[in-house]
Amino acid sequence: MAPGELSHAIGTLKSSNENLIIGMEASNEDASVYRLDDNRALVQTVDYITPVVDDPYIYGQIAAANSLSDVFAMGGDVATALNLVGFDGCNHKAEVLNEILQGGLSKVTECGGIVVGGHTIETPEMTYGLSVSGFVHPDKIYRNNTPRVGDVLVLTKPIGMGVLTTGIKADMLEEKAIIKTADILAQLNHKASVIMREFDVSACTDVTGFGLAGHAYEMAGNNFTLEFDFSKVPILSEAIELANMGIIPAGTYNNKEYLDLHVEVKKEYKDDIFFYDAQTSGGLLIALRECDAQKFVTRLKDIGYEYSSIVAQVKEFSGKSLVLI
Amino acid sequence: MKIDCRGLACPEPVINTKKSLELLPDDSILEVLVDSNASRENVIRFAKNESLSVSDEITQDGSVKITIVKGFTCEIAMPEKNEDFLDKVLFLKDDKVGENELGSMLMVGFLKSILELPKLPKTIICVNKAVLLTTADENSDVISVLKTLEDKGVEIFSCGVCLDFYKVSEKLKVGVVGNAYGTVEALFKSKGTITL
Repeated sequence: MAPGELSHAIGTLKSSNENLIIGMEASNEDASVYRLDDNRALVQTVDYITPVVDDPYIYGQIAAANSLSDVFAMGGDVATALNLVGFDGCNHKAEVLNEILQGGLSKVTECGGIVVGGHTIETPEMTYGLSVSGFVHPDKIYRNNTPRVGDVLVLTKPIGMGVLTTGIKADMLEEKAIIKTADILAQLNHKASVIMREFDVSACTDVTGFGLAGHAYEMAGNNFTLEFDFSKVPILSEAIELANMGIIPAGTYNNKEYLDLHVEVKKEYKDDIFFYDAQTSGGLLIALRECDAQKFVTRLKDIGYEYSSIVAQVKEFSGKSLVLI
Repeated sequence: MKIDCRGLACPEPVINTKKSLELLPDDSILEVLVDSNASRENVIRFAKNESLSVSDEITQDGSVKITIVKGFTCEIAMPEKNEDFLDKVLFLKDDKVGENELGSMLMVGFLKSILELPKLPKTIICVNKAVLLTTADENSDVISVLKTLEDKGVEIFSCGVCLDFYKVSEKLKVGVVGNAYGTVEALFKSKGTITL
């Protein structure tokens, strides 16, 4: 749903008690956090998506990775997951559903969680995702709007996924590129989240439907200005080619419409539409001390986040929340 | 051609535009009707990327009509031709290379060898007895070789006066009738002249 419309729809919902650390009112946050005791808080998040690739197993993996991501963005660990399925039984056999669920299970298992149930209904359009529960220490929650001036931002996965998944739907991406895209989409943010806990991280969010700009805006609010060196933002070359041909999803344009008044463009980039490109199962955007950033990126690359890059600096708010240089 | 892409989600408008353009002959106009900003931007991006001229306007009911012109493919044959040819002229004054039967065989042999060169000479000029080459028998080796050279783009000129002198004007089988000025211009303009 377009960001503006969503705020409008849920803006007046109120629900809380004294144990709620992060709830709906913190609509910028990635997941809810509910205190259980002094050492543990419950993290909950839910997400589901329509198919982005043809292979049901891989679709299951990507949808699961997408749903699990928010727990990692909070600095939490996954405990249990419930399947949420909208299955198009008229056009697909039951085996397809099994493949999807096996894919999802593989990812939940990968990060140490278990699938404990789920719900399936017949729908004309396929959807799959997870409702995830996890745990985090109440004092070690990584919020997304608490960076410090002087910090830098590291992005762990490339952007361009919105364009690429649209290209896959249009049959305009060749096999090798589809596999590369699917691998990136299915990659969990789990290990990055674990490594991040070793560093002095001030804020963390994952980059998903609102694009890099949207989630960066959640981080900055009107309190900070995040200065992005767009040339350092990792974008897959296949995505750039597709965008030139006009294969850009409506969601990306919606994001741009909502966000570009918060963006100051100091340097024009031909591909700046990618700043707003809606991501599925995107990477983590992490604010940490500048002196640690290079070491952090090296650690990330060593364990498989090969596109990790230092992409922005956190500065004092100077009129616009986001700046492209 | 007009296509209605209103109500279609990305990437359908671009795909439909692409397919329609492929079907249209050159010098055609495609009108695409869209009703969302995303579709409008995408179709325009696509057209610009294909180097097509594109414009858009808002219609009465609020949709957007995008007009794309599929231009003609300009086949600039001449410059290309020059790149693939040696800027040299083959100037033939006789229908053989040296005397008697051997001379005739050598001429054919020579012309055949020219075909093997990586780059062919731009022009062959036949004056005096050399016009007997371009007016030789239809089934002869020499006509066959000369026609091959002509097909590959080599210009072949036969001196008009010489054709008249040898009374073979009607028998010209390959190339065109040249004239003195054209001949001299070609010789002086080229980077070099080869005479056999």
